[in-house]
Amino acid sequence: MVNSDRPYTVDDNVRFINSTVNSVYELVALIPGSDIIMNYLKESYQHDPFRVVLELFLVFFAIKYMLAKRYKPNDNSEINELVEEWHPEPLVPALSSFDRMNLEKTPVIIGPQSAKPKVAGHTKPLLNLATTNYINLVSSEQIKEKAISTLRNYGVGSCGPPGFYGTIDVHMDLEKDIARFLGTDECIIYAQGFSTISSVIPAFSKRGDLLVVDEGVNFAVQKGVQISRSNVRWFKHNDIEDLERVLEEIRVDDLVHKKRLTRRFIVTEGLFANYGDIAPLSKIVELKIKYKYRLILDESQSIGVLGKRGAGLTDLFNVNPTQVDMIIGSMSTTLCSSGGFCAGSNEIIDHQRLSGSAYCYSASIPAMLAVSASEALKIIQLQPSILTELSERMQSVRQTLKHKSMEPLIDIHSPEMDSPAPFLHIRAKSSFLKLHLKGEENEVSREDEERLLQDVVDECAYQGVLVTRAKYVIDQERHCPKPSIKIYATTGLTKKETEKAASVVKAAIIKVFGKWRRA
Amino acid sequence: MTTIESNSPSSKLAVPSANGSDGKATGGRARAFSLSTIMAGRARRSYSVSSAYPPNSNPSLYLSPPRSSGDHTFSINADIPLPYPPGSSSLSDVTKLQQFSSLSVSVAQRRNSTAALRRKYEDLEQKLEATPLWVLVSTYLNYLILILYGHLRDILGKVFKRDEYAHLRTHDGYAPLVSDFDSFYTRRLYMRIRETDFVNSKNSMASSDCWNRPITGVASRTVKLLDRTSDDFNKTFSLSGTTTEAVNFASYNYLGFAQSVGECADAVEETVKTLGACSSSPRSEAGGSSLHRQLEGKVAQFVGKPAAIVVSMGFATNSTTIPTLVRKGCLIISDELNHSSIIFGARLSGASIRVFKHNNMDSLKLLLQEVISQGQPRTHRPWKKIMVIVEGLYSMEGSIVNLPALVQLRKQFGFYLYVDEAHSIGALGERGGGVCDFYGISPSHVDILMGTFTKSFGAAGGYIAATKDIIDYLRLKNHSFAYAESITPPVAQQILTSITIIRGDDGTNEGRKRIQQLADNSIYFAARLREMGFIVYGDEGSPVIPLLVFNPAKIPAFSRELLQRKIAICVVGYPATPIITARARFCVSASHTRKDLDYALEHISEIGDTLMLKVSRAARKKLE
Repeated sequence: MVNSDRPYTVDDNVRFINSTVNSVYELVALIPGSDIIMNYLKESYQHDPFRVVLELFLVFFAIKYMLAKRYKPNDNSEINELVEEWHPEPLVPALSSFDRMNLEKTPVIIGPQSAKPKVAGHTKPLLNLATTNYINLVSSEQIKEKAISTLRNYGVGSCGPPGFYGTIDVHMDLEKDIARFLGTDECIIYAQGFSTISSVIPAFSKRGDLLVVDEGVNFAVQKGVQISRSNVRWFKHNDIEDLERVLEEIRVDDLVHKKRLTRRFIVTEGLFANYGDIAPLSKIVELKIKYKYRLILDESQSIGVLGKRGAGLTDLFNVNPTQVDMIIGSMSTTLCSSGGFCAGSNEIIDHQRLSGSAYCYSASIPAMLAVSASEALKIIQLQPSILTELSERMQSVRQTLKHKSMEPLIDIHSPEMDSPAPFLHIRAKSSFLKLHLKGEENEVSREDEERLLQDVVDECAYQGVLVTRAKYVIDQERHCPKPSIKIYATTGLTKKETEKAASVVKAAIIKVFGKWRRA
Repeated sequence: MTTIESNSPSSKLAVPSANGSDGKATGGRARAFSLSTIMAGRARRSYSVSSAYPPNSNPSLYLSPPRSSGDHTFSINADIPLPYPPGSSSLSDVTKLQQFSSLSVSVAQRRNSTAALRRKYEDLEQKLEATPLWVLVSTYLNYLILILYGHLRDILGKVFKRDEYAHLRTHDGYAPLVSDFDSFYTRRLYMRIRETDFVNSKNSMASSDCWNRPITGVASRTVKLLDRTSDDFNKTFSLSGTTTEAVNFASYNYLGFAQSVGECADAVEETVKTLGACSSSPRSEAGGSSLHRQLEGKVAQFVGKPAAIVVSMGFATNSTTIPTLVRKGCLIISDELNHSSIIFGARLSGASIRVFKHNNMDSLKLLLQEVISQGQPRTHRPWKKIMVIVEGLYSMEGSIVNLPALVQLRKQFGFYLYVDEAHSIGALGERGGGVCDFYGISPSHVDILMGTFTKSFGAAGGYIAATKDIIDYLRLKNHSFAYAESITPPVAQQILTSITIIRGDDGTNEGRKRIQQLADNSIYFAARLREMGFIVYGDEGSPVIPLLVFNPAKIPAFSRELLQRKIAICVVGYPATPIITARARFCVSASHTRKDLDYALEHISEIGDTLMLKVSRAARKKLE
């Protein structure tokens, strides 16, 4: 019995298993595409059974992982302890005595800003050599009238970004006025001069693009360069040969590594806010064309003062403005309004209307300020003679300060007598500072130098002249320029007054520098 | 989102403790991928903590009516008849709360009142309603067709019209200024929406593109649009010389101070006459005047902080202040929907940046636990400072920050809190003092209060208010102070006078009236839109009311139809919003009359029917 039964049982079981496997197989075969997998499995089993085992194991593990419960630590005591242990630094550090001095010595103007403003702490009005009120538009009655009539039609604020009903007709007029004045196709206006270039640069130059930047550019440009996250190469301040060297290096490098062509820009400043010198535009334009770069030019300081018409660097060097791809300027300097602009071709301006973050995400400038800027442009265009007057004032300031007795004491930036720049920096000569080293010092600290200059500023104010040290956010500048006193010329003061003011500055320097560290 | 319950009247600030839903929400760091997150219907986002929510079986539906009547402290004028049948709407509670908002109560008293103690974000919150499935599908299809069609045009255009596509190619050794890929959206989607409707321009209708509409005059209750036409499918526009006056639901003129007449304008005129229109130097050099000092004092007083500074541009207020407060080794924790200026400033600062889910305090708490316990990446040294940056009122969502919970978290974790009140200052709170005033929380619980003058004050620029130490430091280190022009006298005067009016320092009730009118208008408008069946975002009391239109094709349709009916609105689509939730945004103002609102509502309802926008299931449920 046993013998006859056994094969029967086995056969039965096999049949059962076979039929089950078959029906499952048929079911699987019903799924479209499953035959590919089956064939694959069959073949791979024959070729490499070990791999099938491994794959099955992986599938099993993946399913187990997905179905597993999330890991939750039962008690947070460790985390809580860490949280409790953590003590942040104070939000701001305590102010040093130098900081306190800076705060206290910042002048506060009482009443209107003008060529002879009243300043808190002084009974008499001071002669103002500290503001960009170059052609005295601050006191222009014409602009005031225009501003008031605009106020009565448009109110003050625009209550919206340009995209959402913040584009007022006077904005469009101002854009046209500036474009016509500079000779470019179009122009776009921003609500603050400082924020303009730091928004224009990242609108065009993205990660992977290349910026070749002058080392002496102002803070706003530095921030624009930083936020663009592009590759940056710096060239020596106003050194054309160094610029060419950098461009040549990049060209060779591109050839060697066969790099993809990316957007490339040269970034520089027209009239350098930190040094008072002027970029050699015609040579830069030559290089830019030769190496096929686009040129971004910050003319915040030069618009309205440089060139015969006051149209900035392109006017001064007689360069066709369309050869400079982007001219960025400020309406808060010469034009005595507020805001900034970028002028260029249609393509460049149109792109910014969607990509310039300070344009898109900020309210447009108040209508009255736009109109003031338009009016200021008109005044400059109608009376270009004030620009000659301005350069005369500056020359008399230079003449006074370049006196022989001053030579061992100070450096003047920039020193050329015929420079059209309407302001200059006075910096203590390093040879003078070295003479007065104390004890073990290797060099005079920045703070001491600033204090020295502040003493000059105080002395000037005491004698009736308002000047100011150039202010920087020292720890955030790339290479902070040496401390300086910034002197601005203005046509608001007569020639005589300007000469008098300059000689006060001169006398103050001699007096303060003479006394310094003798005690 | 989970609704956090915390009804215990004894809790000090009545802050819903962010650990309210303990156990569930306070798990460790979420696993990168787990089946249960998919099951619960949440797609993981790019932030490491966002999937760590307790699964919620009933997410994102309409909020039930508030649990107690004392929760709303909005004051409603009794003489304006409420449009709701009493008892049927959640707003019927509002009538009851007039007893809480008596004008005679002082600020301090109000802050400590029962109403303030019981005010919770959860009661103001309007849950974001989920998009109905068929709308979701049709919207994606809509985009798919647009994109396919755009690519087709690109391909054909590049073959047959080479000249028109020259700017996308490398030419003459210059790389294209905008890359083909980057500009695809602008060229093929944005431009189409902006495109002038052909029939309309033939009929010399009002110009009907949807963005950058130029205007003239004051953007107050109404706005005068300059009509323009385009002959080249709106690459360029030309002005036709005529104007169209439309009711203005687009400008951020919350308190109606955009005026060319009245007390503010008179004061500004006087200032221009005496002080001129410019200050021509940075604040740190010689551009600071006694007017600035006076303004800063007034602003500090208004927001309830010891000191303040003012900056000449709202955008720059953020972008030039944040880098001076934090630096490398510090951490910025930012709401995912924060404004571009905050992102700009955060990037400049060099600090690490982490993001939490919009207004979600559970997400923030988990993130805080993670970052504090883990420290800086790689080195694991403790962070030098952690600064949480949020906005008071989000201009795209209309949501109000959950400040009570944030303040609680600040106490627990010791981070610094930076609140951007660009939209909320003036517009929220019983005396217009922003979110702190709105919740009755002392401003001392917030480290830095930032705001702008562009919106409620009808001026320009922005402020930072904080303790005197912080402000003194900022006076020295803020980029705008050292390098940028200072606020001009006319703008400063406009702010001064408008704050004087809002505070009631001029001895009139004008400011209080405006604030009440605004609160009335916003609550009324949003409630009516919800009633009609639209999907409306925005928390209760928000003057910004986004109405979802979803499909990209409906964006221009909605905007143009409304403009034809003389109503000016903003429409916003991707990339300013998520791709699916394109929206129309209404900014309600105190200068709107009830008649204006009703006029607009009537037409919106009509257009909503035509465009099939009334898709809210919550509203339908309510009707049944």
